[in-house]
Amino acid sequence: MKKLITFTIVWLTVITVAHMTLNVNWAVLLNDRLPESKRKLNVAYIPVTCHLACPVTDYISAYSESGQIFVPRMFQGFPEIKEALMANKMQAAFMVAPMAVALKAQGVPVKIVYLGHRYGSAVVVQKKGPVHKFSDLRGKTVAIPSRFSDERLILFKAAKDNGVDMKDVHLVEMAPPDVAGALAAGAIDGFSMGEPFPSQTEMYGYGRVLFHARQYWPDYMSCVLVVREDIIDKRPDAVQVLVDGVARSGLWLEDGNRRRAHREHAADFVGRYYYRQDPRLLRWALLNPADRVMYEPLSPRKKDFELVVSLMRETGVLDHYIPFEDYVDTRFAEGSMGQTAWRYEAGATKAW
Amino acid sequence: MRRYVYPLLTALALIAAWWLAVRYTHTKIFPSPLDVVRGLGKLAEKKLLWAYIGDSLFRALTGYLIAVLLGVPTGIALGWWSALARATNPLIQMLRPISPLAWMPLAVIWFGVSNVAPIFLIFLASFFPVVLATMNGVRNVPPMYLQAGRNFGLTTPRLLTRVVLPAILPATLVGLRIAFGVAWLVLVAAEMIAVDSGLGYLIIDARNAGKRYDLVVGGMLLIGTIGLLLDWLIRRTEKLPMVKWGFRE
Repeated sequence: MKKLITFTIVWLTVITVAHMTLNVNWAVLLNDRLPESKRKLNVAYIPVTCHLACPVTDYISAYSESGQIFVPRMFQGFPEIKEALMANKMQAAFMVAPMAVALKAQGVPVKIVYLGHRYGSAVVVQKKGPVHKFSDLRGKTVAIPSRFSDERLILFKAAKDNGVDMKDVHLVEMAPPDVAGALAAGAIDGFSMGEPFPSQTEMYGYGRVLFHARQYWPDYMSCVLVVREDIIDKRPDAVQVLVDGVARSGLWLEDGNRRRAHREHAADFVGRYYYRQDPRLLRWALLNPADRVMYEPLSPRKKDFELVVSLMRETGVLDHYIPFEDYVDTRFAEGSMGQTAWRYEAGATKAW
Repeated sequence: MRRYVYPLLTALALIAAWWLAVRYTHTKIFPSPLDVVRGLGKLAEKKLLWAYIGDSLFRALTGYLIAVLLGVPTGIALGWWSALARATNPLIQMLRPISPLAWMPLAVIWFGVSNVAPIFLIFLASFFPVVLATMNGVRNVPPMYLQAGRNFGLTTPRLLTRVVLPAILPATLVGLRIAFGVAWLVLVAAEMIAVDSGLGYLIIDARNAGKRYDLVVGGMLLIGTIGLLLDWLIRRTEKLPMVKWGFRE
C-alpha cells in the first residue's frame, strides 16, 4: 500500500514538473496575473499570410527597446477565435472581414481597427482537373473558410460576372489548413482561400489557380484586425500601440528595395517559429510574384466595407444593413498614419 | 408510475437550475431553456429539424449495421480460433484506442465530401465493441454445451450456428448496446467533416454562424434525447425470450 502511494506521488510530481517546464507558456500565464492596466493584449491569428503582420510584429518588437507589444496566440480556425474573443480570453484577433461585421450585427461588442492585408486570396482547382473557366465550376464542390468570408463573396462576385448561378456550385466550409490535402486527394474540386494554401498547391504541383481575387475585386481585402469594444474604451493607448506595431510591420514588408530581403526573412522566422509551415512555402506566397500579397494600404476604408456589406446582404449572410461607423473605429488607423517601417534586418540584435 | 415520475422530477429540477443560472449570471452567450425551445421551433418551422434528425439516424444506423454485420462474424471467428485471436490481438488493441475522430482527416481524403465519410467513422466507432463483446461471449460459452453438441455429432459449422450463436446472444447484445452508444456519440464529430445536414452539423453550423448557441445547446439536447430513446429500444430487446435468460432482472 505504501509503495502504491509513494509511486503515485512520485509519478504525479514527475508529470507536473515535466508539464511545467515543457508545455506551460509562462509568458501568457504571468501576463494574465498582471493588473488589468498593465496586461498585454492577447491577439489571435491563424497560420495564413493574411495574418502575417501579427507574428512579424511580435518577432521584431521582441528586439526593440519596448519589448513585445502583445501576446500572440495561434488558432487553427475562425470559430475558435470567435469564441475566444467573445469570452474575453483574447482581446484582439485577426479574422475574415464579413465575420467581424456579422458578429457586430449579432450584438457582439467588437470593432474593426485595421486590415490584415490586400489581395492574397485565390480560387484554386485541380491542376489536371476539368475546370478551366469559372462556368466549369457548375456542379462541383468548392471549399471556403467560412460562410462569413470574402473568399465566399468573391465567388459570388465572379459568378455574377460569368453568368453562373451559385446555387449550382456546392460550397463547403473547411478549416484553411485542411484544403490543400483535400484538393490533392480529390475530396473537393476546388477551394477559395487565402495564401499560403493556393501557393501550397502550386508548389507541390497538384493545383492550378483559376483566378486571383484581384481579378474580380480590384481592392480586395480579406482579413481585418478586430478588437473588443471594452478594451478600446478602457485601454485605447494599448490598442494604438498594437495598431502602430502592425502598421510598421506592414510598411516593413513593403519597404521599397528592401522588400524582397525582408519578405524572405519573414518567411523564414514566421514559418519556423510561428506557423510551423515550410519557409519555402511562405517565400513562394510572399514573393511569387512580389505583389501576390500586399501589406498596404491597410487603413479601413468605407468604400471597401460598404461593398462587403452589400455583398453579404445579397448573398444572404446579413439580414440588415449596418453602417460603417458601427463596426469600424478609424481613430487608430488615423493615429498610426505617421508611422515608419521597423528598422530591422536579418541577423540584427536590435530593432527600432 | 414511479419509474417515470422520479426521472421526470430530476429533469425538471435540472431545467429550473439551468434557467436560474442563466438569469443570475446575466450571461450574454449561454442560452436559457426558452431560447433553446424557440431556436429549435424556428428550425422545425423551416422543416429542417426533421430532415436533420432523419439524416443523422440514417448515417448512424448505416454505420452501425455495417459494423454489426462485419463485427459479429469476426468476433465469433476470433473467439473460436484462438490462434487467430493471438495473431490479431495486438493489432486490435492498437487500433481500438485510436479515436474515430483521429481518422477524420483520412476519412475526408478517402471518401471526399459525402455521406460515406461520417458512416465510415461511425463504423469504426462501433466495430471494436461488437467484436470484443462477441469474442468474449464465445470464449465464455460453457464447455458443457460444446461437449454436449459434439456428443450429438454436430459438425463445427452446425455447432457454431445451433449452439454457440444462441449462447452468445446476451453477451453480444451488451456489446451491441455499448457500440450503439459510441456510434451515436461519435455522430457529432463525424458530421463535422463537410456534410451539410444532420444533428452534428447543426451544432457545428450554429457555432460557425456566430452567436447561435441556442441551436448548439438545442442540438446537444436533441442528440441526448434521441440517444436515450434508442438505448431504451435496445434495452427492450433484452426482454426477448432468446436473450432474456442471459440477464438478471
